[in-house]
Amino acid sequence: MEERKEVILKTPLSVEEIRFLKAGDKVYLNGFIYVARDLTHHRLMEDLEKGKELPFSLSGSVIYYAGPTPTRRGEIIGSVGPTTSSRMDKYLEYFLQRGLRATIGKGERKKEVKKLLEKYGALYLLACGGAGAYLSTFVVEKEILAYEDLGAQALLRLKVEQFPLLVAYDMQGGDIFEEGKIKYRNITV
Amino acid sequence: MKELEFQDIVQQVEKALQELNIISPQLLREKMLEALATEDNDLAREMLSQVMENYIVAEERNLPLCQDTGMVMAKVEKGEEVKVKGGSLRQALDEAIRRAYSNNYFRKSVISDPFFGKNTGDNTPGVYFFELQEGDSLRIDLLVKGGGCDNISSLGILEPGSEPEEVERFILQELDKKGGQACPPLVVGVGIGGNAPYALYLASRALSRPLGEFNPDPRYRELEEKWREDINRLGIGPQGVGGRVTCLEVRIETYPCHIASFPVGLVCNCHVFRQKTLKW
Repeated sequence: MEERKEVILKTPLSVEEIRFLKAGDKVYLNGFIYVARDLTHHRLMEDLEKGKELPFSLSGSVIYYAGPTPTRRGEIIGSVGPTTSSRMDKYLEYFLQRGLRATIGKGERKKEVKKLLEKYGALYLLACGGAGAYLSTFVVEKEILAYEDLGAQALLRLKVEQFPLLVAYDMQGGDIFEEGKIKYRNITV
Repeated sequence: MKELEFQDIVQQVEKALQELNIISPQLLREKMLEALATEDNDLAREMLSQVMENYIVAEERNLPLCQDTGMVMAKVEKGEEVKVKGGSLRQALDEAIRRAYSNNYFRKSVISDPFFGKNTGDNTPGVYFFELQEGDSLRIDLLVKGGGCDNISSLGILEPGSEPEEVERFILQELDKKGGQACPPLVVGVGIGGNAPYALYLASRALSRPLGEFNPDPRYRELEEKWREDINRLGIGPQGVGGRVTCLEVRIETYPCHIASFPVGLVCNCHVFRQKTLKW
């Protein structure tokens, strides 16, 4: 089997620096990432359609599908693990067209997603679900950028250091879930 | 008649909710360690290691184990000779949730109406199942789980007279399609019999029991073990990255059923199994 790579990346990402990554490779992510889930995406699209400028640049950006717990006084952030990515599939192409370079979440996504990632040159990264307390320790800064009225679905900018991720879907159609299942399955259904 | 104090119930439920969201039970930690020893896939081991790191960080920093602190479910078995002084059980449960979620920086994820509602702001109400019984005892099984694993729930309407193999096939097919999205390794609840909605309730009720509490009927106990092993042969693995541990436990609950029906409810819980049982 091909050796798994471990890479350190810093946002914003360029297509060139992520093109060689394969499903199963480990990524330590640094820099700014943007937290957005269901309603956040809806609002972002509404604003873009109205011609408003977003409070961050989508070019080379990374979106983290998550909705953290409230922050305790004196802390940076609460628990912040990934939510199920497939709910955001319907928004993906719109943001890829505008420069989004990677998304972070958990779970398999719809078939079309892999084609979109190939077409636009982007990655789908997997964070460990149900490890929100642990993942919060890699966040060094948090700022609410917009939609504070949405509570846990507000748009956040996080600064992360060595945020631990796995490449789930790469740009060549590689798929961590499918490859893993094929290797370990020994039953027919 | 046995009288229970409203405030006593509120306080005990509040404390239980606070703890179960932050501290994972010893038996779960042991199961995860066992899973780590079973897995030879690096990726699966990586996920399990993070899960175990998470137990430590959550407890040390007093943070919820998962950002999705759920919609609280309570299965309540109330003896007919039990009376609550100073309010209803429903009010007590709501009040306990309100306090636990407001005072501990847990996420409030409940909206007051699916179409027209707003966030209730305190994670109330919970989902309650009341079961009346004889006697003077009260038992509350609390279960907190996120939306991700609830979303893979499924109802199978099988042919009357179905065999265990057919029920198993339904479960394997459903989990094969969606299991990876629900944060495996999973605790899998299977309800068989009753009518269609009751089968789903049975599955959900099965999850509300503590870890390691299996079906007392040895025939079902054997099926629970076999289905767990077969689910693990699907290869889904921790977080879906491939591996040998997809399921920690299967729990089966059954009920008499109509001669023309064979409903099977499937409800799952993610690896962050947050459960507590309170008894009076």
